[in-house]
Amino acid sequence: MGYIPLGMVFGFLFVQAGGSWLMALLASLVVYAGAAQYMMVPMLAAGMPVSTIALATVLVNLRHIFYGLSLLDTFPRSFVLRWYTAFALTDETYSVLTTLPRDTPPRRLALLALLNQGWWVLGTLLGALIGTQAQVPLDGLDFVLCALFAVLTVEQWRARSSPLPLWTAVISYALAAAVAPRHALVLAILLSIVVGVVAHKREKR
Amino acid sequence: MNDTAYLLAVIFAMGAVTFGLRALPFLSAHWLRRSPVIQHLGRFLPLAIMALLLVHSASGAAREHATGPWPELLAIGLTCLLQWRSRNPLLSIVTGTALYVLLRNWH
Repeated sequence: MGYIPLGMVFGFLFVQAGGSWLMALLASLVVYAGAAQYMMVPMLAAGMPVSTIALATVLVNLRHIFYGLSLLDTFPRSFVLRWYTAFALTDETYSVLTTLPRDTPPRRLALLALLNQGWWVLGTLLGALIGTQAQVPLDGLDFVLCALFAVLTVEQWRARSSPLPLWTAVISYALAAAVAPRHALVLAILLSIVVGVVAHKREKR
Repeated sequence: MNDTAYLLAVIFAMGAVTFGLRALPFLSAHWLRRSPVIQHLGRFLPLAIMALLLVHSASGAAREHATGPWPELLAIGLTCLLQWRSRNPLLSIVTGTALYVLLRNWH
């Protein structure tokens, strides 16, 4: 249910930026990724190339690779349910599925995933309809993306096994921004992967 | 935002990329799960990447106006504090964004 208001924010921002409600709805059906969808609104409004937006989506959603890894055994075996649940593995759905008891029937996992997307799509539609009614000339509404990243960082911090990833990220970004300001994010992610691999090798010794 | 072909291209490209990332473990499960490095990165990277995205998006927002990074720092501080205490993403995001919009539109 928490997905309705967050979906509304997406639908609202999409329509305020000049998009149609139909396209907002399609994005929530096809892309279905909270942070990436918030990110796409200013990028679309600026008319950025498809390849740039696709690359940014890889960076924002890279973490999702690791979500599936921890859920492999509990996933439904049926072809359609299995791939749908993989498709729908957002941050919110992942955190719900990992809190379920291990003997939960796999079909229930798929159902919960579907329900979550249903709320997200419904929220998008409501937000888009509100957004077509009135123009809100306020600066800074797209800060929702920052706020969402802040929330996800806090939740990752709560689940951390060590504080090292946080310090790695901050120092990597400072270094990357000093060396190559235009590619700071990509460079900093690469640096963090290197540090993660090196930290693993040292731990083993 | 009215070019339908462009919007469709972006939406389907983003959908394909996102699905690819989420489905990867199910395609290459054996290789990925047997690798201890991948296991370790699975614990290490999500926090690092989230923190990077936060710093990146906040510094991008701070560069858009002349008042310095104070609105971003205050609003992110409030969002983190609320989330830490309440575990309610909606409350944290809406309150943090409201403070930010207020600070940015004050003058």
